[in-house]
Amino acid sequence: MNGGDDTRNLGAAHRNGNNHHHSAKRPKISLPISESEIREEFSHHEEGVARINNGSFGSCPASVQSAQKNWQLRFLRQPDDFYHNTLSEGVLHSRTIIKGLINADDVEEISLVDNATTAAAIVLQQVGRGFAESRFNPGDSVVMLHCAFQAVKKSIQAYVTRAGGSVVEVELPFPVTSKEEVIDAFRLGLRRGKQDGKTYRLAIIDHITSMPSVVLPVKDLVSICREEGVERVFVDAAHAIGSVKIDVKEIGAEFYVSNLHKWFFCPPSVAFLYCKKFELSKDMRHPVASQEHGNDLPVGNAWTGTRDYSSQLVVHSAMEFVERFEGGLEGIMARNQRDVVEMGKMLADSWGTNLGCPPEMCASMVMVGLPSRLLITSGDDALRLRSYLRVNYGVEVPIHYQAQAQAQSQREEGDGPRDKDGGRITGYARISHQVYNVADDYYKFRDAINELLKKEFTCRMIFTE
Amino acid sequence: MASPDGKHRRSGTNGEAKPPDSKKLKLSALITDEEIQSEFSHHDASVARINNGSFGSCPQSVISAQQRWQLRFLRQPDSFYVNDLKPGVLESREAIRSIINADDVSEVSIVDNATTAAAIVLQQMAWAFAEGRFEKGDVAVMLHYAYGAVKKSMEAYVTRAGGRVVEVQLPFPVKSNEEIITEFKLALERGKLKGQRIRLAVIDHVTSMPSVVIPVKELVKICREEGVDQVFVDAAHGIGCVDVDMKEIGADFYASNLHKWFFCPPSAAFLYCRKSAKFSDLHHPVVSHEYGNGLAIESTWIGTRDYSSQLVVPSVVEFVNRFRGGIEGIKKRNHEVVVRMGKMLAESWGTSLGCPPDMCSSMIMVGLPSCLGIMSERDTLKLRTHLRDCFRVEVPIYYRAPKEGEIDPVTGYARISHQVYNKPEDYERFRDAIKKLVGDNFTCASLSA
Repeated sequence: MNGGDDTRNLGAAHRNGNNHHHSAKRPKISLPISESEIREEFSHHEEGVARINNGSFGSCPASVQSAQKNWQLRFLRQPDDFYHNTLSEGVLHSRTIIKGLINADDVEEISLVDNATTAAAIVLQQVGRGFAESRFNPGDSVVMLHCAFQAVKKSIQAYVTRAGGSVVEVELPFPVTSKEEVIDAFRLGLRRGKQDGKTYRLAIIDHITSMPSVVLPVKDLVSICREEGVERVFVDAAHAIGSVKIDVKEIGAEFYVSNLHKWFFCPPSVAFLYCKKFELSKDMRHPVASQEHGNDLPVGNAWTGTRDYSSQLVVHSAMEFVERFEGGLEGIMARNQRDVVEMGKMLADSWGTNLGCPPEMCASMVMVGLPSRLLITSGDDALRLRSYLRVNYGVEVPIHYQAQAQAQSQREEGDGPRDKDGGRITGYARISHQVYNVADDYYKFRDAINELLKKEFTCRMIFTE
Repeated sequence: MASPDGKHRRSGTNGEAKPPDSKKLKLSALITDEEIQSEFSHHDASVARINNGSFGSCPQSVISAQQRWQLRFLRQPDSFYVNDLKPGVLESREAIRSIINADDVSEVSIVDNATTAAAIVLQQMAWAFAEGRFEKGDVAVMLHYAYGAVKKSMEAYVTRAGGRVVEVQLPFPVKSNEEIITEFKLALERGKLKGQRIRLAVIDHVTSMPSVVIPVKELVKICREEGVDQVFVDAAHGIGCVDVDMKEIGADFYASNLHKWFFCPPSAAFLYCRKSAKFSDLHHPVVSHEYGNGLAIESTWIGTRDYSSQLVVPSVVEFVNRFRGGIEGIKKRNHEVVVRMGKMLAESWGTSLGCPPDMCSSMIMVGLPSCLGIMSERDTLKLRTHLRDCFRVEVPIYYRAPKEGEIDPVTGYARISHQVYNKPEDYERFRDAIKKLVGDNFTCASLSA
């Protein structure tokens, strides 16, 4: 009778997360992980695809998937027992690991949610209530970046604008040459957006922007927010954990969210939402009220009705995976940065283009200018080019259309970077590097673009189905 | 290396929604008992699992289908997102539409669970109050036995927004539909007392604890007669447990879990929204770039998630069609057997059932011997744990507070369930466990906190 015994002993449970493994004894793992072991762990990735878009959906090694299946099986085997004896302890364990990784004071400050999109809904719903309940005045505003993730923009519309709040957008320069450029633009944008008698109730700042992707000096931006009287700051750090070092106390924001399935090897999907302790009034609720509603947020988040919580339970398995690498997580991050910058430069050199930002403003992704002759003239062009590359060249990479930059943060020349042909660079590829990538992935991309150029291909020529 | 002119697509990612393996030869033979046991062989064999109501169950073939979907995502997630996800969810929604007799697939959204569906329906109420379309004090009606999460949702979205919540007192044990209908009418009257409008009635199709089938069709009719704006039927125990004909029932909104009685893995549910419903500006609470494209589309993308449990509905349909009579047959047999087992237990213990057979579905409330001394909800939890740990019986227990003047009241009811994997031994084990406890002069007071 092993079902009940195993599940009640958390010590055994989390140490032996793999105790239902087919191999009863764990194979002796030699450190550090070898190249062939890495290939093995990601052998489920589609062959023949140069997968250089880890930023969108992340990746998950086989050993973590295996751990996840074990959790799923334990639930299916005896769900009542799982719910009563296993789930909350498992989630607490995951939260504790994260607390350590991000330097939070108290595990109470960490909630697990599905993804950054959900976290945005939680924070913005709360702001919306501030307006609906007249604690905020009509016209008080929420500040966001012009390049904020589309879901966040819609969430602001759904919960803030609808409730009577207004929105101030701050545009950051791109391409960018230094963090000072970003800081100046942000400060300027905040000041311009101020209106007499109106309060900035919330600022939403990315830690690593999505498209175009740049690592922002988030600590400095939070300071500026304080200087300019912003009440609270929410850092949307969807890409951060596993890409950059995170110290939430140093950063100083009230709210901070990051996805664990992007760069931290968890399966889809799981994210953590950090809320500074004094923010944890009973007013922070998950929008899906459950029996736990009314209790503090982490508990409220732990149970949002019957769900598959297995992705929340494998954080320690992801940690174990990471620790098989030289230097652990820090080693992975350092090498991803080094390699993506190297590959970015290789591509830019080959195409005669540029990088969108200096190396110190990259983590595991970099924006590489695409040749002007491709004639990328709109967001639609960028999407179609992306599909074209996927379907015809087996290259998976997101493309960003960069319209002419605004005057305020321009260099003297005034109209953006040009490539070796003298044409304006309007498209950037966001390449990524994760542990499974090899140089060939980027050569494949390089050659694909060069071939398109040779054929005098332009985006005009792509017909959508 | 891919050739520039060739399509770089692999079989299995060609946009076809069904995972390839599911196109097995059509099985003309009905599923056998052995095959059923095999399909549920991942259940803990040492447990008498008679609580299908809480978390449901999922057969191996559906789990396998789910894993194929999961792998497809992990293999090439961008391609999955662009080519496979939406058609797959649409196919699931269409399968549901057909089963529930809805007019149009746009009326069918798939969400995580009934709890989420309740949040969606109630959130629009909160907005209506905030935006002045409802007046402060306008009423929402719900059953006293509404699920805990729904009650909390009412607090969060109705009470907090300025609405008044009126509860329908329901008798339990209950003897007939008329008792329920009478109480419901009384509650509507209470709701209209101060001259306010009743904006929403939330009615369970099958209450959770204690579990009783509510005559929803009649109650919906009464709501229309009494000028209730909208009716939301919370049918967490819906598809696979009771008849789910949307046109027959006539509600504006209807939510049912698919993982409880319809063999989906955790978790998936559908929310039906009648096209002609008033004030139907429903939104998923988690807002993505699909915001504004209608609830069904909003629900197809709420950020990166594992959507595989939503994609296996066609595989579930294949599974249930291996049984005689399909899902209808399963439902019917579950009902017959659970009633028979319930009667067997009641007879053996000298107790009674909580409602007549025609008011139960695949679950039934069986009175527990009063000598067990169940004096509180805490006692029921302790007893339930004791049964799980010491007798390997998994069954939820309900505490029914005695009314004044009752002599020797039955204060504890077990909610037993029957699903295709159950065997008579499961109920016999429960019967014997209780008899042993009674024989040992056991009382809940003897259990530690």
